[in-house]
Amino acid sequence: MPRDPRQDRPVLRTFARSDWGLFIGALGVSLVGALLVWSATAHDHGTAYLVRHLLNTAIGVGLALGVTRLSHRALRLLAPFAYAGSLLGLVAVLSPLGSTVNGSRSWIHLPAGFSVQPSEFAKVALCLGLALILAERWDRGSAPGNRDIALAWLVALLPIGLVMRQPDLGSALVLGALAFGVIAVAGAPKRWLVGVVALVAVGIAVALTTPVLSPYQRDRITAFAHPQADPQGIGYQTHQVRIAIGSGGLTGEGFRAGRQTQGGFIPFQETDFVFSVAGEELGLVGAGGLILLLGFLVVRVVIVAARAPDAFGRLLGAGVAVWLTFQVVENVGMNLGLLPVTGLPLPFVSYGGSSMFACWLAVGLVNNTHIAAGASRHTP
Amino acid sequence: MLIATLFIFSIFGAQLFWVQGINASGVSAAALKERTTEALIPALRGQILDTNGVVLASSQERFTISVNQTAVCTYGTRKPKCDPATSATAVAKAAAVLSPIVKVPPDQLVPLMTGNARYNVLVKDVTPLTWRQVAAKGIPGIGVSGSDRSAVRNYPQSTTAASLVGYLYKNSEGKQRAAGIEGLENAALAGRPGVETYEQAAGGGAIPDGNSSITPAVPGHDVQLTINSNIQWYAQNALAQAVQRTEALSGTVVVQDVRTGRLLAVASYPTFDPNHVGKATGSLSNTAFTDVFEPGSTQKVITMASALSEGKVTPSTPVVIPSEMHRSDGVFHDAETHGTEYRTVAGALAESSNMGTMLVGETVPSSVLYSYMRKFGLGSLSGSKFPGESEGLLAPSDKWNGTQRYTVMYGQGLSVTAIQAAGVYQTIANGGLRMPPSLVQSIGDDSGTLVPQPLPTGIRVVSPGVANNLSQMLEGVVSAQGTAPAAQIAGYRVAGKTGTADRPGPNGHYSGKTASFIGYAPADKPQIVVAVILQKPIKGYFGGIVAAPVFHDVMTYALQELKIPPTGTTAPQLKTKLDGAPAADDPTVLRDKRQKSGG
Repeated sequence: MPRDPRQDRPVLRTFARSDWGLFIGALGVSLVGALLVWSATAHDHGTAYLVRHLLNTAIGVGLALGVTRLSHRALRLLAPFAYAGSLLGLVAVLSPLGSTVNGSRSWIHLPAGFSVQPSEFAKVALCLGLALILAERWDRGSAPGNRDIALAWLVALLPIGLVMRQPDLGSALVLGALAFGVIAVAGAPKRWLVGVVALVAVGIAVALTTPVLSPYQRDRITAFAHPQADPQGIGYQTHQVRIAIGSGGLTGEGFRAGRQTQGGFIPFQETDFVFSVAGEELGLVGAGGLILLLGFLVVRVVIVAARAPDAFGRLLGAGVAVWLTFQVVENVGMNLGLLPVTGLPLPFVSYGGSSMFACWLAVGLVNNTHIAAGASRHTP
Repeated sequence: MLIATLFIFSIFGAQLFWVQGINASGVSAAALKERTTEALIPALRGQILDTNGVVLASSQERFTISVNQTAVCTYGTRKPKCDPATSATAVAKAAAVLSPIVKVPPDQLVPLMTGNARYNVLVKDVTPLTWRQVAAKGIPGIGVSGSDRSAVRNYPQSTTAASLVGYLYKNSEGKQRAAGIEGLENAALAGRPGVETYEQAAGGGAIPDGNSSITPAVPGHDVQLTINSNIQWYAQNALAQAVQRTEALSGTVVVQDVRTGRLLAVASYPTFDPNHVGKATGSLSNTAFTDVFEPGSTQKVITMASALSEGKVTPSTPVVIPSEMHRSDGVFHDAETHGTEYRTVAGALAESSNMGTMLVGETVPSSVLYSYMRKFGLGSLSGSKFPGESEGLLAPSDKWNGTQRYTVMYGQGLSVTAIQAAGVYQTIANGGLRMPPSLVQSIGDDSGTLVPQPLPTGIRVVSPGVANNLSQMLEGVVSAQGTAPAAQIAGYRVAGKTGTADRPGPNGHYSGKTASFIGYAPADKPQIVVAVILQKPIKGYFGGIVAAPVFHDVMTYALQELKIPPTGTTAPQLKTKLDGAPAADDPTVLRDKRQKSGG
């Protein structure tokens, strides 16, 4: 293999051609997240969560820079290993190595008080894996055939199945949406897409009419459909979140002055319901701003994907865009009472190391593509 | 894709605008209502003081220390959350630190501090000092909240003024009630509890930046009594000894200021420790106000006062006392049988002759006698307003049956309280002006200044001249010829009257006696009235034998305590005995006109 001349270039010059909008946007959202997490936890834990969120952000930025530094080709070479590694992680979490938190076996505790959530890294890995499989055909200038699509779904269903075993319905939905988006962007025939949509519709119908869902999942759907049904029981969380966001009004109750937040009424507020902190303390202006900022990030990713020099980069970008969009939509949607509750973090904002690292790895992947696109434009 | 994303985000924007912009005030108000909590801030109860400012009752603030079990387990671990691995040692460490301060063994504290409860009571009724020492240790999860504040009532004089000062208790419905002065002046003492309104966090504490308002508690006002705690203490002890010595059922000593009617001591026995009312075995009520009894011979002074006041007799009016008298369907004797005796009115009182008193009493109509009894304060509440006070039993004169018309003259067939009985002698000592008894000297205002309470208006019962006559007659009682030489006090002139009454038993028949002595000193410039009443004494029962010595001791002490000097005068010697049988046709002589001649 010939030596890539770009590897000789100074690293700093590579970084200088980064997608600064994406980078600064993600950093901004992470820092806003740090403040919201701080506000949600300060009444019980002081600055402990603030410090750790900032540390996570710093590590995440480091990971993104590391991915950025890799050549676009090296990324492609690493993709199978990343995918295989993530499958190993998902298997490990189901083994006695994993531990169960809040009913889901999603965590592996490491020495020195650290823990990882393999399902978060599986999102990154699936982006890489699908892009690798579907890019081959595209680069040869033809649409993916039935075999390619079937293989792509197999690649997607392996981690989805493992995540469902935990069980972590939210993450499985993210992975499914991600796969659907990437396969659609790759140019799969319409019948495939219609078929999957029909399958999902049947699945939802079955879920709602037969007892395949677990009791707590049924409760969540009941609480969603009838918010006032049981405000002290299954509807407690959504009821309290609605109070928090509703109390915010136009400009909010003030940073670190939200009564619902500071009173500790909302369980998991620093993770899944961090958006309600923005809603209560920063009001319509702050929460709307946060949505705009997240929307800007997604738009940046879509733009980079559109300008990608190769099918791999484009599909990678599409995967990240669908993933982030789905997660923002589901998370903000459940905070606003527009969607049922599933345990999904708000990218960059929610507290949690694995989610933060995965999101910054995604930023690294997209930035890598951006730099590659710049390079291909500049090299004749 | 871009358009789809923007579309979804704009839906969110719209929902956000709906929830926060349009719905906000309603949601916000509902939320505030859900979070807002009220906590009562107890008001510290006022003190009860004696006339010299000695504390008879005071309140001390107390705290209830509670524990948040999910926080205390982080003590010393430097971790924000409980770690099951170190929780047990952290709790044990916290218990070891707390134990010597709150004086509860660690093995009792540990179970209270272990678990998932956010609020659990750890120690009750700790002093502010103890709480400050606990707080200084900075153990997470250990605290007191506003509603955990309380107060304990402390009665430093213990049994001395127990039933008078009273006590606090919870009735069957759990509401606080008060007895004695605590009840009488509850409005002044209680104060007004404050209210703290605040937004409550999920954990139960206040939200730091939440709305809060405090209506401060208004502490109760102090109440100063007319009681002199030294005299009260002495009287209580003297009474307790007398009751025990004579094996009496109960007893009362009332010490009253002659000029003002203020009560200086109201001793009641058996008594109890108001600091531990639940363990009390004695009577919880004050017998001076609540017990009624037939007064016996101390009542004769009213009969004498009516006849003197109506101008029917003078102290020197001769009285021929037969050996027995027949009235209505009864036969009357004196306590000691005797032949026909020749006495003056003063002599009849000095020797406490029932028949002599009847002969004097017959000179005024029943209705007039009754009106004097009422003017002396019998049959109505004294005006002290003491809770549970009795008005005694005094039937109107038109309801008196055959012999009752005569028995009331010497104090049987009617009932009085010790306070009423003392009031009769206060009236005579005060020149015929009755001052209703009072207990409260002054009440604190909002600034803490003690504001004197006005004296009740005096009631003119007899003229100063009549009162003076009666006083001289009562001095005769205490003379060597009278029934109570034991009441004499060296250097002082003492006036008084014994009483040895038949006491109604539980079945309505008379059983046992009520022995009493009521008197005042100095007789020519009266300052203090002392009434001693012993119910059903067994070892000796004559008022002059069992009650007069108590009077002597209490009066001697009170004169010294109040620094009242002897007047230095000598008592006039009233003529008590006639030189011989008065002339049979002398119209001024009182004699039993219904007696068969030659009897």
